[in-house]
Amino acid sequence: VRILVVDDDPVVRSSCRRVLEAEGFAVMCAASAADAVDATLDQGFGLAIVDIKMPEVDGLALMRMLKAGRRPVPVIAMSGYPTAETRASSLRGGASFFLPKPFTPEELVSALRAVVPAETDGVREE
Amino acid sequence: VIISIRTRLIAAFLGVSLLVGCLSLVAGVQLIYRAVLNEAQTRITQDLNAAREIYEERTRSTLLGLTIAGEEASLRAAIQRGDASLVSARVSEVAAATGLDFAGVLKADGSVLYRTGSADRATVNPAAAFALQAREPVEGTVVLDRQTLAAEGPGLAERARIPLLPTPRAAPRNGTEEDAGMALAAAVPLALGDTTVGVLYGGILLNRNQDIVDRIRDTVFRHETWGGQLVGSATIFLGDLRIATNVPSGSGERAIGTRVSAEVKGRVLDTGGVWTDRAFVVNTWYVTAYEPITDISGNRVGILYVGVLDAKYADIRARTVPVFVLITLAGIAAAIALGGLVSWRILAPVQRLVAASRRVSSGDLDPPIGPASRGEIGLLQRTFQEMLGSLRERARLHEQEKESEREKSERQASVGRLAAGIAHEINNPLTGVLTFTHMLLKRPDLDADARSDLQTIARSTERVRSIVKGLLDFARQTRLEPEPTDMNDLIRDTLALAQNPAGVKGILFCFDPAEGLPVRRMDRSQMQSVILNVLINAIDATPPGGHIDVSTTVGTMTTAAGSRRGIEAHVADTGCGIAPENLERIFDPFFTTKEPGEGTGLGLSVSLGIVERHGGTIRVHSRPGHGSHFVIWLPLDDGGGAA
Repeated sequence: VRILVVDDDPVVRSSCRRVLEAEGFAVMCAASAADAVDATLDQGFGLAIVDIKMPEVDGLALMRMLKAGRRPVPVIAMSGYPTAETRASSLRGGASFFLPKPFTPEELVSALRAVVPAETDGVREE
Repeated sequence: VIISIRTRLIAAFLGVSLLVGCLSLVAGVQLIYRAVLNEAQTRITQDLNAAREIYEERTRSTLLGLTIAGEEASLRAAIQRGDASLVSARVSEVAAATGLDFAGVLKADGSVLYRTGSADRATVNPAAAFALQAREPVEGTVVLDRQTLAAEGPGLAERARIPLLPTPRAAPRNGTEEDAGMALAAAVPLALGDTTVGVLYGGILLNRNQDIVDRIRDTVFRHETWGGQLVGSATIFLGDLRIATNVPSGSGERAIGTRVSAEVKGRVLDTGGVWTDRAFVVNTWYVTAYEPITDISGNRVGILYVGVLDAKYADIRARTVPVFVLITLAGIAAAIALGGLVSWRILAPVQRLVAASRRVSSGDLDPPIGPASRGEIGLLQRTFQEMLGSLRERARLHEQEKESEREKSERQASVGRLAAGIAHEINNPLTGVLTFTHMLLKRPDLDADARSDLQTIARSTERVRSIVKGLLDFARQTRLEPEPTDMNDLIRDTLALAQNPAGVKGILFCFDPAEGLPVRRMDRSQMQSVILNVLINAIDATPPGGHIDVSTTVGTMTTAAGSRRGIEAHVADTGCGIAPENLERIFDPFFTTKEPGEGTGLGLSVSLGIVERHGGTIRVHSRPGHGSHFVIWLPLDDGGGAA
């Protein structure tokens, strides 16, 4: 399963890449919604992890775009501003899971497992 | 309301003045009329006495003339001798000189020696007969029948004959005419030595003799006129018949031949009383006096009457009425003016108070209420001022409270913005720290010291994470914006939101909404956050494939203050439960039981804060291994109340 990570903060992008690649996923990172849209045009992703608060186009708008595509991509929303409202609006916007920042590698992986069941990824190393 | 009070006040004044005015009008007019009438009756009684005096004076003068004539010795001698020629010459002379209608001489044996009329000896004048019998002079009224009249003088019987005229109100009477005559007569017995030689008599016939009644009228009433008519009048009656009068009939002539009213006749002629009252005379009303005339034998044979036109006094009454009406009208005008003035005096301050009240209700808490009044109005003004004072005080306190609340919420908002900024800025690098610390800890080649140090870093970072989260939760407290909300609908919406996270874990929601749940005012969005929090916590705690029971009820909560009804939302999971030692701490802002990988719920302290600001509370029952049961309770009788 290819995973798209979208966050304007490079620390978060690299953290996610580090954890997910250690779990055996193919990871592609994008620094903005525009880059993310470009990336999804070329390659198919099994999952997107999207930061809600980004400059220019925010995560909610990006989620709508991803959901509107020919193959809707499941989304995990994450936010450094984890309030009830943010979570409610994320879930309302179509996110399958809301992940408040900061998170541990275990939290990220269990969120991922909740959305993408282990049997289907096929590349998970143990 | 005000106009009606003024109107009612004026109406009350008006009613009183009208009542008093009308009463005084009726009573005053009546009293004055009575007084005038009494005065008139007193006067008419005196007038009657004067008339009586004039009437009797005429008989006395007749007696006097006869007495003087009888003093002549030659006449007496001639009578004794029966010398008719001398007697006739002398008596005719006397009769002409004293204006007598008849005169004559009776001899001592009662036979007629001479009379001015015919030589008829068959009838004897009753006055002469009375004097002869009594042997003393006689004067007074006598009634002479037709034969006597015919004998006493030429034309007397004809003069005395009076046809009866129909008269309203008179007593019924038979016959068509009166042929008897009433006369004033005097008789003097004449003597020579001790021997009575005869009686000298004479008199005047009253029938159609206007002399006396006109003298009475002219002497007593002095030609006083009223409306072109002489006010006073006098009448001599024979029985109930007018034989001499100056009361005019309908055609303006003397009303001879008309009769007195049955009422007066009964009182005066039949019982001998005196009548002084209003009476209907011929054809109009008079203030009258009637008294009986008795003849020389003491029989009531006629009536003497004087009267004054009632119209004169009725006119006094008629002139009194406008005066009283004027007084009443003046009273009414005064009542209206007084009513207006009094109501203005009373109502002006009240109206100022009303205007002040209007200004108060439009927000001016220091309106002018006008000059201070006395009495109840003054009390009202003072009470109003006191009320304004406490209103101002309350408004000031309210303003202060609002100000401090505004400051507080501004402070909170700025703290919130600051915290949000800090949280967002810190959380990203914190993600890096947490991720890479944990990744380092996974390396198998770490020595014990390095592993221990890294674990310290990881724990410290977790602490920073929970502190930032608590800070953010604390800063997120915002003002409630309540609206009528159906709790069941709200829960359905929220379950839909939680469907994604629940679905990925294969967790089922079972919702059992209470029927007829009252609608209650609440902040929809914040309450949804609370329910969503509890649901997410439940999802986190429930193993995959489990289920979460959600329901609503109307529940009663018993506290020290008593029982209160409320709406309850129940969320029961089949998860791990909460350890008893943590049950009391789960609502602390900086408390979390979340171990890595165990879940990502948000703070219960925020949820509890929101529910408490709705007047409610959150209860939790939990047994480790058997799941947790959260109850959100919102009172129904709260200020927000059912909407």
